[in-house]
Amino acid sequence: MAAITIPRATHGRAFRLRRLRGNILFALALLPFVVFALFPVYWMFITTFKQVNDLYNLQDNPLTFNLAPTLEQVTYLFQQTNYATWAVNTVEVGAVVVAITLFVCIPAAYVLARMRFPGSTSLGIGIFLTYLVPPTLLFLPLSQIMVGLGLINTKWALAVVYPTFTIPFCTWLLMGFFKSIPREITEAARVDGCSRFGALFRVVLPVSVPGLLTIVIFAFTLVMQEYVYGLTFVSASDQKLITLGVVTDLIRGDIFYWGSLMAGALIVAIPVAFVYNLFMDTFVRGITGGSLK
Amino acid sequence: MAEVERSVSDVARTTAVARARAQLSARERIGRLLENEAVFGYLMVAPAILYILILVGYPFAIALWFTVSDATVSQPIGPFTGLTNLKFVLDDEVFKRALANTFVFTISSQLIQMVFGTVLAFLLLRHFRGRRLIRAIVMLPFTVPVAVGAIAWQWMLNPTYSVVNWVGAQLGFFPMLGGPNWLGEEQYAMISIIVVNVWRNLPFTAIVLTAGISSIPQEILEAASLDGAGWLTRWRKIMAPIIAPIIYIALLFSLVFTFTDMTVVWLLTKGSPVNSTHVIASYAFVTGVISGGLGRGAAMSLFLFPVLLVGALMLLRNLKARTLD
Repeated sequence: MAAITIPRATHGRAFRLRRLRGNILFALALLPFVVFALFPVYWMFITTFKQVNDLYNLQDNPLTFNLAPTLEQVTYLFQQTNYATWAVNTVEVGAVVVAITLFVCIPAAYVLARMRFPGSTSLGIGIFLTYLVPPTLLFLPLSQIMVGLGLINTKWALAVVYPTFTIPFCTWLLMGFFKSIPREITEAARVDGCSRFGALFRVVLPVSVPGLLTIVIFAFTLVMQEYVYGLTFVSASDQKLITLGVVTDLIRGDIFYWGSLMAGALIVAIPVAFVYNLFMDTFVRGITGGSLK
Repeated sequence: MAEVERSVSDVARTTAVARARAQLSARERIGRLLENEAVFGYLMVAPAILYILILVGYPFAIALWFTVSDATVSQPIGPFTGLTNLKFVLDDEVFKRALANTFVFTISSQLIQMVFGTVLAFLLLRHFRGRRLIRAIVMLPFTVPVAVGAIAWQWMLNPTYSVVNWVGAQLGFFPMLGGPNWLGEEQYAMISIIVVNVWRNLPFTAIVLTAGISSIPQEILEAASLDGAGWLTRWRKIMAPIIAPIIYIALLFSLVFTFTDMTVVWLLTKGSPVNSTHVIASYAFVTGVISGGLGRGAAMSLFLFPVLLVGALMLLRNLKARTLD
């Protein structure tokens, strides 16, 4: 008995040691990635709650609080800047962009996912390719168009332009959702005398609610994140959206209001980061054009 | 007589029926037309196509016109000047520098991302406790808005209060308070821009790779293992070929976005010191928006177009095969 158990025990220990070493190596390999990813966010966080004297003190360890944490910078952000206005603007523009996106994407995605008509494949690909057209190619002519429409320097210019990138992205995502709905459901509705519109509105959309919600959330967060068009079209402070407002208005000449800047940035970043994390796989599917099943 | 009467009433009846049918069909004709798959299809895609034509196609055409005209903000419909703008742009030293920077910036970011992205992807594929949390943390840079991330880095690389230099000094890399002025000197500024861009895009590369690798059927890999294939062979001969299309599309997007982005550069350096860190996009912004030279600005923006076009064509070939399944 003993002759059998002893070697087994030593084997077990050797095995456990090897596994432990493997785990340590693994943790060591992962650590730099975690630090690299997390540090800037930590730095934003600690900057937000530091007192100004602590922030500009070169003697102490900058990684910790050397004076008591404070809400001073957050208060400044809400009371001395247009932060609340930017937040409202973001919600308003976001709502319009979401509405336009849904109105345009639902019908397009539905027929492109379900029907074959001459040119349907090319149209689908054409819409997807629009996603490749960057703001920096179009900001000059679009700013002139906005001047013509009388929308320049208003948030509504952004509400008109943002669907140019939400539409391609969301159409492709929705196509994926619609393709996953069994054809039999719509066919049954059609046999029962439903028109094509009826089949879409009464049968397909009610079962696509999760997909539609995803679209709404993505369209909204894309609006929250955008920077280049905002920078080009809007310079009036009370018309800015949240991201642009934070990174432009809290820098006055050479003076950076670092505490409030990081506070504002963090408040935008947290919800967006949270949503993207929940929908990360969907996002990847959208951007790879459904080549990932 | 009776026969005539009957025939008259017959005629009246048939015309009434015909009229009723005609009235019905006026309403029904649309319905019936919509039953036609092609008509319905075009009608439903029309809003998307119109939106894109008006706000992407039309501006693009205007951009082309700007390029060959003397358009300024005060006079957007300038006279035709042929290739003068292009010539001016090509003679511009800052633009040449920006062009070179764009390539250096894009290629080095992509290379670093691919290498470390693959490593990170394999690390994330392992099952360990807290995997979801670690994944969320590692994804953070990609999930926070670009502008927000860039501004945080600007603060980290601040010439006086740089926390990067403080940590570096603690670890003995630089003398205390004597670290590099990251955003103030040419080479360091360029390195900073690349690092921030890698910070931002690395998670995307990694997550696409993880998604691709985990979609590979385990049986194939196990069979290869049993046949004595080492991990390098399995990666080269099985995994890489299977996930190639996904990597390819992700790479293309990442490439196009990096090549045309100005956010990181603009928020970190605004092209300084002395215009040495501009990329094409940020210099086009300065020329076209800040200085109001629409023609020259557009000519610079359109310099990005050939790359986009190649990207688009490659994507097209790949997608067509996929959507026709």
